[in-house]
Amino acid sequence: MEEKKTKRKVALGLLIVVVLVGIGALKVGSFLPTIGALDTPANSNISDYYINHAYEDTHAHNIVTAVLADYRGFDTLFETCVLLLSGIAVLTILSSKEKIAQKSDKEMIEYYRHSTFGSALMDGAFRIVVPVILIYGIYVLFHGEISLGGGFQAGALLACAYLLNRIIPKFDLRKQKAREELGIITAAAGAFFYVITGVLPMIFGGNFLAFGKLPFAASTIAELHADGILMIEIGVTICVAGVIITILEVVLERTNFDD
Amino acid sequence: MPILLLEGVLLLALIAIAVGIILGKNLLSAIIIYCAFSFTAVLLYIVVGAADVAFTEAIIGTISTVYFIIAVKSISKGAKNGRKKD
Repeated sequence: MEEKKTKRKVALGLLIVVVLVGIGALKVGSFLPTIGALDTPANSNISDYYINHAYEDTHAHNIVTAVLADYRGFDTLFETCVLLLSGIAVLTILSSKEKIAQKSDKEMIEYYRHSTFGSALMDGAFRIVVPVILIYGIYVLFHGEISLGGGFQAGALLACAYLLNRIIPKFDLRKQKAREELGIITAAAGAFFYVITGVLPMIFGGNFLAFGKLPFAASTIAELHADGILMIEIGVTICVAGVIITILEVVLERTNFDD
Repeated sequence: MPILLLEGVLLLALIAIAVGIILGKNLLSAIIIYCAFSFTAVLLYIVVGAADVAFTEAIIGTISTVYFIIAVKSISKGAKNGRKKD
């Protein structure tokens, strides 16, 4: 009885907080500019510049990629670093937890014989889907300047393929799965590749991430920008895929699915 | 105008799905309803015109669903059966 009373009190308090926050949000919302309004600062000056000059400056048909990877390359660098940090944090927190004892090869074969991920049909379907996802991930990476996509999506797709490949039972059990340390090192290498792409122009007399000064053979500065965008997209892809695979491995090795 | 109407419908659907997540019988069903939330958000982004964001949301929504399921599997058995009946 007493417990129920406290519960009711907590619920009442939460309700009051929700109502107050709602009123506050509505009040603040009335001061904000309308979504898509043309007279806001963001829409009046800089958007026009991007829309008119993105292709001339960077040879990227997709303005989103041009803005993310070139005009706002510094932002993207630190987004990638935040992702890497999250992977390191998960690894640090969970690595103190004990791993589930690994089964021997014989036990594994017995285990997989009696349990498939879904059904035999699903397993077979996943095996067909995995290479397709891999190719699509590479396509998204290299086609990101022209159509949808870019580094983050490509990395997530590659990790998705790895994930599917990881959860379906395998014929060859001796094949080693990727270790968690390897995953985080790969992710760090991706972020490092991004930074190197930024530092290269500095050596040849430009600013950090100023792709116009990259030491590649190209006829126009815009083509150099396209090269730079592709390079940092590759870095982002490796980092994202590494982080997702790391978190997956860290959690899977400490999870018991037997029940 | 029809676009605005579609936006409104999708936003209302998002709210309804969010309430459904809270009212879910157990954690696994809540996760699956969350997956529906993510894909409704994808539709909303497409309607608004942010195709890149929609693409990202579609992939991340899928991967995060898998992560949530792994997380639910790894927490204790008592919590897995959802709220206790009192």
